Amino acid sequence: MSHPSTGPSSKAKVESSQPSETSFKRKRGVFQKDLQHMMYGFGDDPSPLPETVTLVEDIVMDYVTDLAHKAQDIGSKRGKLSIEDFLFLIRKDMPKLNRCTELLSMREELKQARKAFEVDEEKLATLE
Amino acid sequence: MKQSKDPFEAALEEQEESPPNSPVGEDELNSQTPNEPQNQTNGGHSLLVDDDDYDEIGPNVKNSSHPSSTSTSKLHSTSINANVATGATTKNKEYDDDEEEENVEVELSKFPSSADPTKMAKMQAILSQFTEDQMSRYESFRRSALQRSNMRRLLVSITGSQKISLPMTIVVCGIAKMFVGELFEKARIVMTERKESGPIRPCHIREAYRRLKLEGKVPKRSVQRLFR
Repeated sequence: MSHPSTGPSSKAKVESSQPSETSFKRKRGVFQKDLQHMMYGFGDDPSPLPETVTLVEDIVMDYVTDLAHKAQDIGSKRGKLSIEDFLFLIRKDMPKLNRCTELLSMREELKQARKAFEVDEEKLATLE
Repeated sequence: MKQSKDPFEAALEEQEESPPNSPVGEDELNSQTPNEPQNQTNGGHSLLVDDDDYDEIGPNVKNSSHPSSTSTSKLHSTSINANVATGATTKNKEYDDDEEEENVEVELSKFPSSADPTKMAKMQAILSQFTEDQMSRYESFRRSALQRSNMRRLLVSITGSQKISLPMTIVVCGIAKMFVGELFEKARIVMTERKESGPIRPCHIREAYRRLKLEGKVPKRSVQRLFR
């Protein structure tokens, strides 16, 4: 289980005994471009310092990694990882929970809207 | 000053399904715009407070007397709080909106409120009073997102399973973005405490991260990661 090359996946988890197929080394510039826009949106300078971007990216990677590990811990008790595990993890954090439920309900709405749109198009096509 | 129709604001109106603000409402707002500089110096108080508080405000958009309920208000309100604090300082808009072409779907899925006409009307009222700088900042706040493909790859490598569903990626991206927002808000607070200005430096972020850890908002790892 000790995978010497990859960083995050070598964190010893008993469940994930199979090595990940895409050896995702801890690359640096994963979220750099997006993070820069996000940092400006959240109150930083239009051109943030590169070391700040790197640090924030490291923090975000750590956060997501920890979150995913904890979710996996919870999910393993039920069998497989599901979205409910993530929602359970942020249950104490009201803004995040509300935001996630909003995102999910928006997604459902979009699906419905798309379906309705397609049905309408079909009707128009058949009418012509 | 009369804010002419921003392209972003126009797009926002189009996407929202309620009709745009009636002319009466806009006239009311225009008469209040001279007070706008007062808003920008309000520092720690948010323009937008929790949605429940809207009912108490009435036509007056400037809730300068409202305490900032950071714990319960949605992220966009507290972020605008940060934006207002920094909007007073003139910053060069150095990058262009190259997010136009990416992810219209993402844009649609991030409405500030549900299809509630009163909420959207209030949102419109506030948006119409933004300066150009504030508008660009708000735009990049709304449009920016972590890439889902990268996030999916990361999640796959962490969990080791290939079955990462799409809503899971969306949710994790949303959670991560809000976490970044909390981090930056704290960092700005730290900066104002130390009376510093300019771009945010790593020391501010580290201090903010330390404070978030004390508050318990950062998941703690049970096993120490000794070697990277």
